[in-house]
Amino acid sequence: MRRFTTLLLLAMLLAAGLIHTQFLSAADTDFPIYFENSTLTLKSQTVDRTTYLPLLDIVKHLGLAYTDATGVLTFSIQRQNSRLALTPGSAFISLNDQPILLQNPIRRENGQWLVPLDFLSQGLSKVAGIEFRYRPGDPRVFAGNANAVELAMNAQSLGPTTRLTLRAGSPLEAELQRDASQHRAVLVLRGKVIDPTRERLDYKDRLAQSIAFDDSDGVAKVVIGTTDEVRDVRVTTADESRVFFVDLIRDITTEAAPAAAATPASASTAVPAKPDATPAIGKLKVIVIDAGHGGIDTGSTNAGALEKDLTLALARHLRTALQSRLGASVVLTRDSDVALTGEARSEVANNNQAGIFVSLHVGYSSNKVDSGSSIFIMKADFTGGMPPEPAGGRLFLPWYMAYRTSQPASQALAAQLQQDLNQALPGWKFPVRSGPIGVLSSLTMPAVAIEFGNINNDVSVQTLKDPAFQTKLASTVAAAIERFSESRPSGGRGQ
Amino acid sequence: MTSRIPRHIKFGLIALAVGFVITFGLFVDVIGRIQSMVKEKEVEENPFTPPTPPLYARTDPPMQVKIFFPGMQSDFILSAEEQTIFRSSELTNRAKQILQKVLEGPKTAGLFASIPKDTKLQEIFIDDMGMAYVDFSNPLYANHPGGMANEQATVYSIVNSLTYNLPEIRRVKILIGGAERDTLAGHCLLLPLEMDLTITNVPPPQEQVAHAN
Repeated sequence: MRRFTTLLLLAMLLAAGLIHTQFLSAADTDFPIYFENSTLTLKSQTVDRTTYLPLLDIVKHLGLAYTDATGVLTFSIQRQNSRLALTPGSAFISLNDQPILLQNPIRRENGQWLVPLDFLSQGLSKVAGIEFRYRPGDPRVFAGNANAVELAMNAQSLGPTTRLTLRAGSPLEAELQRDASQHRAVLVLRGKVIDPTRERLDYKDRLAQSIAFDDSDGVAKVVIGTTDEVRDVRVTTADESRVFFVDLIRDITTEAAPAAAATPASASTAVPAKPDATPAIGKLKVIVIDAGHGGIDTGSTNAGALEKDLTLALARHLRTALQSRLGASVVLTRDSDVALTGEARSEVANNNQAGIFVSLHVGYSSNKVDSGSSIFIMKADFTGGMPPEPAGGRLFLPWYMAYRTSQPASQALAAQLQQDLNQALPGWKFPVRSGPIGVLSSLTMPAVAIEFGNINNDVSVQTLKDPAFQTKLASTVAAAIERFSESRPSGGRGQ
Repeated sequence: MTSRIPRHIKFGLIALAVGFVITFGLFVDVIGRIQSMVKEKEVEENPFTPPTPPLYARTDPPMQVKIFFPGMQSDFILSAEEQTIFRSSELTNRAKQILQKVLEGPKTAGLFASIPKDTKLQEIFIDDMGMAYVDFSNPLYANHPGGMANEQATVYSIVNSLTYNLPEIRRVKILIGGAERDTLAGHCLLLPLEMDLTITNVPPPQEQVAHAN
């Protein structure tokens, strides 16, 4: 029992000690107060999670009359008919004998008077006749007519470059100081008092370690912690010195990086994530194969055969055929049994800047004896009300009309596929149809959807399940794609 | 055995048991009330249906219409079947009669139903711009067997049957369960659609008129 009591007492002591540490004052940090024509940098102290400032320095800077009566432990400030008095340990201050309650008490430590930030706005402003503005948590105060310029920071990775974008409310002067040995790049901002919307960016990548605003010494700057991989740092100014792009350039021998960094206009144009995924000019580089349906969306079914399984098997065969025949990079929208939306499928092709998109499906016809196969392209102007002009004539297109940019090429691809498939598979008919097909609508490259066979016909299902037949289908489609890509003029659209 | 348990513990246990029984009773009662409230709500959601006004009067003249259904020929997705409706004075009522014929399915051998079973027409609204908003019940997509061409057949049997026979309707927007859907069953976009006779073996209505003249 006695041992238990001892342990309990020890635990209580430990808890009290832990609580007490909260009241311990933290190390001094620099804290600027911005006046209209000057800046006062103070050493702030954090006591009980509250920022305290040394009162005497502020009063002296403002040139106010004060008395520090150490005997009675009262500090008073006078100006004209106003008198402000404060006593240590009390959250009450008296202004012309009227009490004002602060959120935190006044402190006196090591012969120094310490005041919390709300003392400035609640008490001192009334005697000094100037306003103090601060955001809770921010290590700076703006006084009087000090006009602060808002500064917003944003960072993004643009392939081999990391770009930090700074936007200020009015023009600023910026100067880059780089200290490669310390892995630091400092952008000093002069000309105006700066009020950052955020103290630090929660951003990190292989080039940037940390990005923070720092004005503790009264000079506004953005400090970027860089990594070993950064070869060069460049600053580009835009919008009449209101916008600054700070580009951290990776240490690789690529031409893309300086080009991306040099032009401020490239802020809006993303550098492709894969350098090799350039648009197909003349020769196809990327082909996207879409295995229809997947996951919870089984597609059409009959006698235990699921459309989603047949399309995935076909897609894999087609990938092999295309890789061996064209040497192109082939991307499948799905390589497993997962459900994808139409937009997700389009995104795979658009983001990889594919030269061709082929969506694979199995047909279904209520008529069991129907062949069921079709080659679909997007139907032009299916909603009506749109002038039938080429896409070049329009500045902007809604996404569901992106197909218009490559409509003639899609037709040519469908015609080539029809010719080759009809030839290779006698008895199967592949009519070219056009319709408002969701998966084809937002694609910016030649795109078709092929329906093979009729899943409502048992013989057709057995044929489609046969791996040898799947290989034959895949090689026919691959051959048609090869012929189509060879027939296209370099860089041209359509035939 | 019982004599070993002190009396006050015994009383305590009895009080606990009584308390438990009362609480359980209250709990069951509350659950019952909630269930009955939920059930009442279900009943309230289906108040007695008002008598549906007739879509036509017996005196209305007959009107020949072409109803589009998927057919035998694989070159064309849709074929037309001649049917007769009443030329009611209200456009909406004529549209409803046409859609009833589409829902009923074809009478001719070799044509197939385009609408999945259990599908109902819930509402139709035609605006001043000639756009018909047609709302079907959920089985339209839930029971759809799929297939790109087959889905196109379903969509355009509705769109073409309306726009071919009623020139006042220029575009059709299909809704399902009172809401918009991106596609019917994963393939066919359900944006406002115009008539498409290229997928049928039917000549455009103007040519037909010219031919008749």
